[in-house]
Amino acid sequence: MTAQRAYRRLWLALLALLVAVGVTYAISFRILGGGSNLDEFVAAMTAVPDYQNVLLVNALVGISVALFIYELRWNAVRVVATVAIALALGYLMTAIFNLDNANRFTRGEFRVAIESDAEPVENDDVELEYGQRRGDEFNRAGVAEPLRQAEYRFEGRAGDEVTVLAYAANRRSLVNLQASLIGPDGETLASATSATEAQLDAYDDLVSERDAVIENVTLPADGIYTISVSPEPLPGDLIVSETLAATNQAYEAFLLGPLGRVNRWAVWIQDALSLILVGLAIVIVFRARQFSLGAEGQIYLGALAAGVVVLNTSALPGILLIPLALLSAMVVGFLWGLVPGALKAYLGANELVATLMLNSVAIRFFDLVLTYQLKPANVGYVVSENFPDHSVLPVIVGGTQVTVAVFLVILAVIAVWLLITRTPLGYEIRMIGANIRFADYGGVNTRRTIMLAMAVSGAIAGLVGAHLSMGIHRMLILNISVGLAFEGVVVALLARNNPLVVPFTGLLYAYLRAGAQFMERDANVSFEVVRIIQAVIILLITAEAFITFFRRRRSPRRDTVLRGQGPEQQMLEVTTPAAEEKASV
Amino acid sequence: MAFLEAHEIVKVYPNGVVANQGVNLAVERGEIHAIVGENGAGKSTLMKILYGLETPTSGVILLDGRQVTIETPQDAIDLGIGMVHQNFMLVDSFTVADNIALGRENRRFLSVDRQKAIRDTEALSKAYGLYVDPTARIDSVPVGMRQRVEILKALYRGAEILILDEPTAVLTPKETDDLFVAIRRLVDEGKTVIFITHKLREVMEISDRVTVMRDGRNVGSVNTREVTIPELARMMVGREVFMQVNRPPVKRGRAVLEVEGLTYANEAGRTLVNHLTFNVYAHEILGIAGVEGNGQTELVEVLTGLRNATAGDARVNGKSIIGQGPRRVREAGVAHIPEDRLTNGVALDASIEDNLIVDSYYRAPFTRSGLLSLGKIREHGQALIRQFGIVTPSGEVPVGSLSGGNMQKVIVAREFSSSPVLLIAAQPTRGVDIGAIEFIHQQLIDKRTEGLAILLVSADLQEVMKLADRIMVMYNGGCAGIFENTPDLTEHTLGMYMVGAEQQDAAEMERAR
Repeated sequence: MTAQRAYRRLWLALLALLVAVGVTYAISFRILGGGSNLDEFVAAMTAVPDYQNVLLVNALVGISVALFIYELRWNAVRVVATVAIALALGYLMTAIFNLDNANRFTRGEFRVAIESDAEPVENDDVELEYGQRRGDEFNRAGVAEPLRQAEYRFEGRAGDEVTVLAYAANRRSLVNLQASLIGPDGETLASATSATEAQLDAYDDLVSERDAVIENVTLPADGIYTISVSPEPLPGDLIVSETLAATNQAYEAFLLGPLGRVNRWAVWIQDALSLILVGLAIVIVFRARQFSLGAEGQIYLGALAAGVVVLNTSALPGILLIPLALLSAMVVGFLWGLVPGALKAYLGANELVATLMLNSVAIRFFDLVLTYQLKPANVGYVVSENFPDHSVLPVIVGGTQVTVAVFLVILAVIAVWLLITRTPLGYEIRMIGANIRFADYGGVNTRRTIMLAMAVSGAIAGLVGAHLSMGIHRMLILNISVGLAFEGVVVALLARNNPLVVPFTGLLYAYLRAGAQFMERDANVSFEVVRIIQAVIILLITAEAFITFFRRRRSPRRDTVLRGQGPEQQMLEVTTPAAEEKASV
Repeated sequence: MAFLEAHEIVKVYPNGVVANQGVNLAVERGEIHAIVGENGAGKSTLMKILYGLETPTSGVILLDGRQVTIETPQDAIDLGIGMVHQNFMLVDSFTVADNIALGRENRRFLSVDRQKAIRDTEALSKAYGLYVDPTARIDSVPVGMRQRVEILKALYRGAEILILDEPTAVLTPKETDDLFVAIRRLVDEGKTVIFITHKLREVMEISDRVTVMRDGRNVGSVNTREVTIPELARMMVGREVFMQVNRPPVKRGRAVLEVEGLTYANEAGRTLVNHLTFNVYAHEILGIAGVEGNGQTELVEVLTGLRNATAGDARVNGKSIIGQGPRRVREAGVAHIPEDRLTNGVALDASIEDNLIVDSYYRAPFTRSGLLSLGKIREHGQALIRQFGIVTPSGEVPVGSLSGGNMQKVIVAREFSSSPVLLIAAQPTRGVDIGAIEFIHQQLIDKRTEGLAILLVSADLQEVMKLADRIMVMYNGGCAGIFENTPDLTEHTLGMYMVGAEQQDAAEMERAR
């Protein structure tokens, strides 16, 4: 049995490794320039500055995927399926918001011209005469009663040969026109919905085949003729194909945007670094089943501590200054995490409420110090001075904010994994998470462990703050983290609180965030739509992760073996003294 | 033709577990039919099928010779089948009468006719001799009355057949006796009772016929008069069971645990442990008998460091263990098999290996220079799994996937592996099957013979009398008497002390201490 399991593990590891190599190659190929064969790829790649480090980071992404597969096994399929369903729903949403995409063919400025070799008839009551043109705009956006159909009259004589042109007035207008010529008796003489290639060549005004041309009609009688112009009605299949085309374009930007160029890739990676660190911080407290959301406040105080150290001791060389700043951010995070830990351990204060309140305190304190102490007097908005160059985290990929934080994250993942699986403290955290009364009974000092778990989590969250201020913004700004801690919760839950899976889920989540950003930018999908799609995805992911979380929490009740003891225990707790006396008599 | 018949019932759960594989059951009208079997034998599944909580994968149910389909509990109720669940299904904040009428309320205009509910309850209560107080709130009445309310609830809905699922698990001996009287009365009134249990003594006492189940099949149905407890036990387990343990006489050693004037009052100021003084010696099992809720739980928790004493002292090998916390108490050599293993005896989601080291993870060999040694933890787990015969595919599986008996073995293995000087065992065999009970009893006796001092707390008087060398009876938090467990000590004598009818004087107690 054991041999068989080892065998299965080996296959799994091989599969994971294979996927890792594939992912690394695919990402690198897209970002670093592609090419049709390996030589071209290598040539394109070596032209990118710091391409070795890009490759290194991509290899780390590959390793994250491998760890995800190896650690979660079948659950990995579930995570991927959840994300896929969310993306499919998001696609539907995007499609709904793109349903009017085909409408661009029904709106826009147009011109109507009438041409004839015959002599124009002067008549002040009509709009047109031979050789003239008139125009307007169909279905202008934001107008109460938009123009849907236009009629222009001209006076003609029997035997005149006329040509009617209806065309889009400029390149911006995509209106698809139809036109008809109506005689004085109200009878339609001719109509047209499109222009041929030859006509496009013949008449300079025409723009595309969408324009309409009624060529060489001989007028039957004297009188007032009418040219009726309107946008062509949209066929259903056009609406569908146009909607899908727009949605596909948006989704391409969403799904492949972060893999566009190195600078876009960097947006993804640097966001992922923050998310992975926050995820790790959350994993520690969640493993102890403490629903602590204090990471947000700890991030702010960590950023502040790093900023204060950097700005006040900038005389130190970078090799000392940077570690000092990182360390102080971690210490401040640790201490700020200790506060709700102590409140919970000694006063029984609910950790959720306590941490949320402490977040407010921390964020306001950050704002206060930044506004009144750190903001230079001559700057018009609330920021600190730029951090000196030698104090920011050294960049490893030129032109981006991908910094040595990559290595900090690797260290943090390994450290948290060791902490949880290989140390007595980690054992205590796991046992408290599994059953705190069991831990108590076994002699674990549960108060101390809860406090330490929250504090260690705070130290890592503090590091996130340092990364934001020293690596990404390179100064202190208001709202330096907008709800990063809460995104970290999703990352941790998706990873099923496994520190080795957090890198993957952090990367995945950051990828979705970056993708949404590029979808907004590239595909002209409005910001609100992006937010809705993002919310759907988060909702599904979170729902899936929470189901697992709560199912595990509930599991003791599913055990039927001791069911008889359950209610009795409960009764002992709820029975009033009087009733107990009655019961024992 | 039997009144209720089940033919070849098969139940396969969606996860592939076969709970019943061709069960046959025949219950005659007006009989008390006991169904016995170990945990996991399929008793509960069969009852759930009869009550419509589960639908069988295949098989037929006949009522009065007519084939019936029972898909929901409502179907069962309509057919006159009622069930009293192990964990009561009552609304705590409602009165007894409201609970009985719930869902069948008599309406008066827009409101519920509560007076009628009370009258109905009283009438029903009188008719079947099931005493209840119709106007009392459920959360203020004792467990025994709650159970009677459940029975009345079923009768109020017209039940002809009553299924009682382990009804005595939560009752005191006195309440059990009352219940049995009530069941007899129900049968006299023409009702039929199906009685599920794994306590064979109760089967002998109350039932007319008994069906034994094992591994999802019925091993056989016999008339209770024609069978003995050992025969039933053999049918249940499938092999010979030694119900009697051999307790070799040993001379008791020095006092390992000395308790003096130990008192515990809870936050509300109620004294739950009242001035207890006793010793436990090496080579001895001191059994604590008493109706549950007389301070045994609190005594154990004080002695194991989970609660702090209000007054008095307890010493292990001369060192005080009061107010030290569980870690120090364990380091003084005290092992603890807790009363409710699911509450604090195991962490269900954690692996067996992790569960086996909760008392020692921080020490060598498990922690070396600040890091856990996974190899040592695994070895330790495998050794104990082998030694205690824990049935599991590996030590890495979560404890929650084990059966109750195996879970209890994990606890026993852990507590014995720390080589303690004193073992405090609270309800060590509660809710485990006969095979595991036998094993645990033998382990306790063996360790006691080797020199361990054991404090055994059990609600099962039989168990205490079987295992203990001396027996202390607790009543109302205090000591009602301490007895040598001689053959002439009877259940009846102990019972008088357990209900507070008798009390030893101080001199007698001091002698027996």
